[in-house]
Amino acid sequence: MEMFGTIIGLTVKSLVFVIGMFLAAAYLTLIERKFAGHVQQRPGPLHVGFHGLLQPIADALKVLTKEDLVPNNVDKVLFYLASLMAFVPAIMILAVIPFGEPIQIFGFEIKPYITDLNIGLILALSFGSISIYGVIFAGWASNSKYPMIGGLRKAAVLIGYEVALGFAMVGPIMLAGSFSLREIVYAQDGFFGAFIWYQPIAFIVILFAILAETGRTPFDVQEAEAELVSGYNTEYSGMKFGLFPLAEWYIGTFVLSAIAVILFFGGWKGPEIFGPISPFVWFFLKVFMMFMFFLWVHWTLPRYRVDQITEIAWKVMLPLSLLNIFITAMIILIKG
Amino acid sequence: MVRVKYLERPSLSIWEKIFFIDFMKGLKVTFKNLLQKTITTKYPFEKLTPPKRFRGVHAHRVKDGNEPPSFSVLEKFMDIETGESRCVACYMCQQACPMPSLFVIEAEQLPNGKKKVKKFEMNLLNCLYCGLCVDACPVDCLIMTDIYEMAQYQRKNCVVHMEDMSERGKDFDRRRLKEPDRIWIDDSERIKLWGQVKWS
Repeated sequence: MEMFGTIIGLTVKSLVFVIGMFLAAAYLTLIERKFAGHVQQRPGPLHVGFHGLLQPIADALKVLTKEDLVPNNVDKVLFYLASLMAFVPAIMILAVIPFGEPIQIFGFEIKPYITDLNIGLILALSFGSISIYGVIFAGWASNSKYPMIGGLRKAAVLIGYEVALGFAMVGPIMLAGSFSLREIVYAQDGFFGAFIWYQPIAFIVILFAILAETGRTPFDVQEAEAELVSGYNTEYSGMKFGLFPLAEWYIGTFVLSAIAVILFFGGWKGPEIFGPISPFVWFFLKVFMMFMFFLWVHWTLPRYRVDQITEIAWKVMLPLSLLNIFITAMIILIKG
Repeated sequence: MVRVKYLERPSLSIWEKIFFIDFMKGLKVTFKNLLQKTITTKYPFEKLTPPKRFRGVHAHRVKDGNEPPSFSVLEKFMDIETGESRCVACYMCQQACPMPSLFVIEAEQLPNGKKKVKKFEMNLLNCLYCGLCVDACPVDCLIMTDIYEMAQYQRKNCVVHMEDMSERGKDFDRRRLKEPDRIWIDDSERIKLWGQVKWS
């Protein structure tokens, strides 16, 4: 009976998380479009609702009711699988992200996370990588030259940044002594306890890796719209197309921003000035700031070439992260 | 002899490499833009006024007493009343046009010996708005207006006739005949439309 209750609770919680993430991603598109517009001195969506507030809903209706075209010579299985492959792992990372501490409501203890795995960070890392397979599959399955080039570029970039990302995450893990995201948050105490003060090099490497993983502008070689028509999703249409940017640009960036906040900015911790909901407020405020920073970088910088990205990844970021591990290990060894 | 000056690509200093100085500069520029006012025109609700010499849809000037001297020579052979198009069906526009089949011009001789223009049609779907027909017109009849919304739902509606062209010509002259003829409207007009634009 207790098992049954747990399953029901988890299912409800997962549904809340998934639907919430969908709505959040829809409105993140609006935020991105308004931001991009104002950076370029134009207003962005303006006429659907007050200042474009209903634009995401109109876009969703449009994408959902569009004809779902599948070209003749594509690899059908991979073609259908690719968009799910990009989307599902990206949203599954939410399972290990803690949004706050357990709270008591009407005598029930509600945990604002789905599960607290002791290998949470590794799970997030691996799902993030699996999500990239969607892009590569889409490029291969489309049986067309531009998606193919886009997919191969993403594969080349993936090999580069993934190593640096993995090594850069070792620094905070060593300081916290755990892979569990909750334990990492508990290890950071107070304003000067946040790991950003101890791991600035790791933070820079992780910023680079998140930009590369979510395909945002300095590293958006896989859908370079000036060179490849639209990159890996050229042959897609309808909601199968809509899932790619949703997964990569919005859910991916949001979730990885959350992980970066947990690793470096102390997660939900902050002065309790908002009463009982202050952990949530602080967490979402930090994640939102992080997300806006990625948007800011996206709409500022031009695009690197693939060879430049792999060069930065292998020649700069990987040695930096290894150096960071070495320094951290020495300091831990000396201080005991 | 062609002189070629070879320039070394300036390399970044060590501080610029470590602290991403040029990266910060770029971020500063976009942040400044973020705080500025938008400079767009909300098109279907606001419309910019083009300069007077804009090459929009064609029109006919009417006989209203401001004709050039060449028209007064031709006038006695023509059957044109005041307020009608001053076209004399000389076919100069058709001669000048790079796409001559665009014009359909017909004229007939009345029993009293005068010439009457019966038909003047332009198929604007074939027009490239080069303005050569306007330069060729000897009586300053064919002009181009500042109207740029020419899309129609049916192809036959894109053919303009003599009557609507003279209506459009009257309207255009009423609005903009007195305006000085220059390529770009002057600065005060531009500031009125766009505000003081600070080019970065």
